Amino acid sequence: MDDIDRKLLHEIQSDFPITQRPYKDLGVRLRCSEDNILRRIKRLKKEGIIRRIGGNFDSQRIGFITTLCAAMVPDDKIEKFVTAVNKYPGVTHNYLRDHHYNVWFTFVAPNMKAISRYIDEIIKYTGVREILNFPAVKTFKILVNFDLV
Amino acid sequence: MLDDLEKKIIHFLQGDLPLTERPFAVLAKRIGIDEGELLDRIKLLKEQGMLRRLGATLYHQRVGFKANAMVAWCVPDDKIDETGFLMAAFKEVSHCYQRKIAEKWRYNIFTMIHGKSKKDCQGICKRIAEKTGIKDYVLLLTLKEFKKTSPRYF
Repeated sequence: MDDIDRKLLHEIQSDFPITQRPYKDLGVRLRCSEDNILRRIKRLKKEGIIRRIGGNFDSQRIGFITTLCAAMVPDDKIEKFVTAVNKYPGVTHNYLRDHHYNVWFTFVAPNMKAISRYIDEIIKYTGVREILNFPAVKTFKILVNFDLV
Repeated sequence: MLDDLEKKIIHFLQGDLPLTERPFAVLAKRIGIDEGELLDRIKLLKEQGMLRRLGATLYHQRVGFKANAMVAWCVPDDKIDETGFLMAAFKEVSHCYQRKIAEKWRYNIFTMIHGKSKKDCQGICKRIAEKTGIKDYVLLLTLKEFKKTSPRYF
């Protein structure tokens, strides 16, 4: 990664142009050609630096709810449990953590009723009964920009 | 409520923007409107706060943050706002939410923190605890990622 890559990543995280020729406009900001910007972005995607370029929506404002769930899963059931949970398209994140509540996942769904139903299904299918559900009450921060080190 | 056009726009923006000279023209064609109208509608979604941002999402492990942790804090009800904003001000904190607590779980503010190592994460927690005065917390290191994806709404 060179200096222009770093500046480009900074710009496209926070201020991607909503214009006819966004890559050309980024080029103007960084003093590169449109073609150069496109080539760099393609490379940064290929190298696995950029995950995606697209929209991030405020789930609540577009009519969805989000929640965080924590499950206590015995070691020999983790694989089955994770496979079952990850099948739900509304599960966007799922991690193993060092705690007796060891599997933590987030759910996006049209309403809490749907989430309760999904959790009941998961309990029934996996036999893991201990699943806590923490709906978001207030958002203090969702970081936009990772400063590159 | 969202109209059909808004749902279509969200459908295409929740994915990956085409890497071509005029990405919005490509999407507009798929949606069946013209490029100018799409640009206007996207700007409107942004103004209304429905589109939080349009741009790149990075794999942060690959940009130098090798360790991350969820930290859950037990914050007295009358200090939630003050504490939430103090925590959010830390640059190592990427997410900070107040959540409804459950039985068997008293920690009501959740933060995600990012560091270069486990020790680094522990140090960040200590600094947050000192700054906010909240000493009752649990550090949940991320051991493995099972899934990480963007939501598909429509």
